[in-house]
Amino acid sequence: MEQRLANSWRMPINDIKFIETALLSDLRVDGRRPFDHRKLTIKLAKEDGSAEVHLGHTHVMAFVTAQLLRPYRDRPNEGSLSIFTEFSPMADPSFEPARPADAAVELGRVIDRGLRESRAIDTESLCVLSGKLVWSIRVDIHILDNAGNLVDAANIAALASLLTFRRPECSLSGDDGQEVVVHPPEHRDPIPLIIHHLPIAVTFGFFSNENLLVIDPTHQEERVMTGRMTATVNSNGDVCAIQKAGGEGVSQSVIMHCLKLAHTKATDITTKIRDAVEIHNNERALRKIKRHSSSVAVDVCGAVIGLGEQNQLDGSHLENLKLKEEENFMECEATPSGQVQSKDQVSKDFVGGPSSWDPYSECVNSDLLKASLASRGPSVPSKQKDSRRETKPKEPPQEIKTDSSPIDNALTAGQNNEGKTLKDAVKPKHKRKKKVSSNSEN
Amino acid sequence: PGDVVLDLSNMTNHTIKLGGGLRQDCDVISVMKAGTLRFSKPNKYWVENSQKRYVPHAEDSVLGIVVDSRSDNFLVDIKGPAIAFLPVLAFEGGTRRNIPKFEIGTLLYVRVVKANPGMNPELSCTDASGKAAEFGALKDGYMFECTTGLSRMLLSSPTCPVLDALGKKLSFEIAVGLNGRVWVNAASPPTTIIVANAIMNSETLSGAQQRIMVEKLLQKIQ
Repeated sequence: MEQRLANSWRMPINDIKFIETALLSDLRVDGRRPFDHRKLTIKLAKEDGSAEVHLGHTHVMAFVTAQLLRPYRDRPNEGSLSIFTEFSPMADPSFEPARPADAAVELGRVIDRGLRESRAIDTESLCVLSGKLVWSIRVDIHILDNAGNLVDAANIAALASLLTFRRPECSLSGDDGQEVVVHPPEHRDPIPLIIHHLPIAVTFGFFSNENLLVIDPTHQEERVMTGRMTATVNSNGDVCAIQKAGGEGVSQSVIMHCLKLAHTKATDITTKIRDAVEIHNNERALRKIKRHSSSVAVDVCGAVIGLGEQNQLDGSHLENLKLKEEENFMECEATPSGQVQSKDQVSKDFVGGPSSWDPYSECVNSDLLKASLASRGPSVPSKQKDSRRETKPKEPPQEIKTDSSPIDNALTAGQNNEGKTLKDAVKPKHKRKKKVSSNSEN
Repeated sequence: PGDVVLDLSNMTNHTIKLGGGLRQDCDVISVMKAGTLRFSKPNKYWVENSQKRYVPHAEDSVLGIVVDSRSDNFLVDIKGPAIAFLPVLAFEGGTRRNIPKFEIGTLLYVRVVKANPGMNPELSCTDASGKAAEFGALKDGYMFECTTGLSRMLLSSPTCPVLDALGKKLSFEIAVGLNGRVWVNAASPPTTIIVANAIMNSETLSGAQQRIMVEKLLQKIQ
């Protein structure tokens, strides 16, 4: 009991009196006017869908992920959006690790309501197969430092991360149009979510004196204030949600005044968010241009490549779905050529970091390799990439067994290579590509 | 931390006094805390660091907040790992008949008498000779928290530049606790706020920069 006594943050009564006295002369402890926000900084990471917001000393981080799931029974055409909050104990001594306090649950609900009720995110566009598969968007909000006004900061972080989030593109294929193929970011650009407007939460604090009203309270002001209200409005002036949970009663005129203030603040914050997102998008475009320019250089030394093979490769990248695609592709790719190989390597070069490395694509390429080896005979160099034998379907092993001895050497070399890193896997491909192209020229 | 400061193997017959932040590991003296190494003639070494946590030491003057009152002592929070005890009689002229009544949340300027590891520290509102000497409850004003390094800088002599520059233009009273708490009181709230913000900003600034910062702040107000 004493340990908990020692760890909590306390405020002396001198401060309580002082904050109210200062507010009577329209002055806040950090030098702000009553209706000023603290300095807002939005940092968007290189990864899509992650945002970090600093509102004064309050620090919040949000991250967006998407998954394909079954839709709700009563809404088969809509995707879903869920918000999860994590109040880390490092943010405030009163946050306990596994038990969400009332404030935590309320924060999640306010943000959720602001986005869902106002239909800010278009959920119908998230539907892939009506009644069977829809995208489920999950926003994780982590509170890293609590210096007051978590609701506003968390809301801005959630919005910024949703604006920069890109979900993988997927298309229907298969015999009856019932099979979904998810394209990885290297092959098809991921697409952004459709967001109609940005609901911004603005929190007001009320004090025991009727005329005192502040926006964006700090944690000291939060201790002193007797009532709070969060108004979620967007820059068009629509009120998306209002939350006033207990606390001191306020008159109707005060509430109308607050809504008007919230509208002005919302427009400011919306411009800031959009600016930050635009900068992020520009950087993203620059990065993509760099990537494509390197691919053009490589293409020149490669042989003629048909787009048809590329699309076949697309279809082979699957996620979490039990489909029969793989076996189909084994059959298609039994007629390979060195050209196809070099295209694989080109696309492989783009696999920037380990996060975008796809084990399935590795599997396909090694199959291609083996199939090509089978067709070419002993002239192919014996250097083999790492082998993902676990995921291999039936055909290639049979092919390998009937191959000549260099292929066996390749197999053993491949098995030895399994422990190597991705870089080692990339290097031999370069050598092979040049040899293959030289072979094809011959 | 971990850096070796002094190699003792080639020094014999020297006595060296080690202050905080240094430790002797066999033949070397290594650093335990991150900070600047200080040396005072003839043989004293210590490391000065600044952190948000406070570790109680005896004879420190600190600002505490009353948490609870018991029959024989008050429980006072001094930002350390354990709540400190302030005996009910540890006041000038304190007897069982005139025990002061502090409500929860009162800010006190107290002196740490005993601070043994593992035990709750003991406080007193008198100095070593038994006189009151400005200890006791602080009325009005505004308290804010800072790092221990900043509070040491504010208490250093000659006067810290930021306090000097503020004192020339404004009149205020200030109480600095070595546990990272500072209390400011002035006639009007704006003055208090200016002083508090100036001090909070001045930790990483050099003397000249502090004066410039204070001047800018004052110009903004007037």
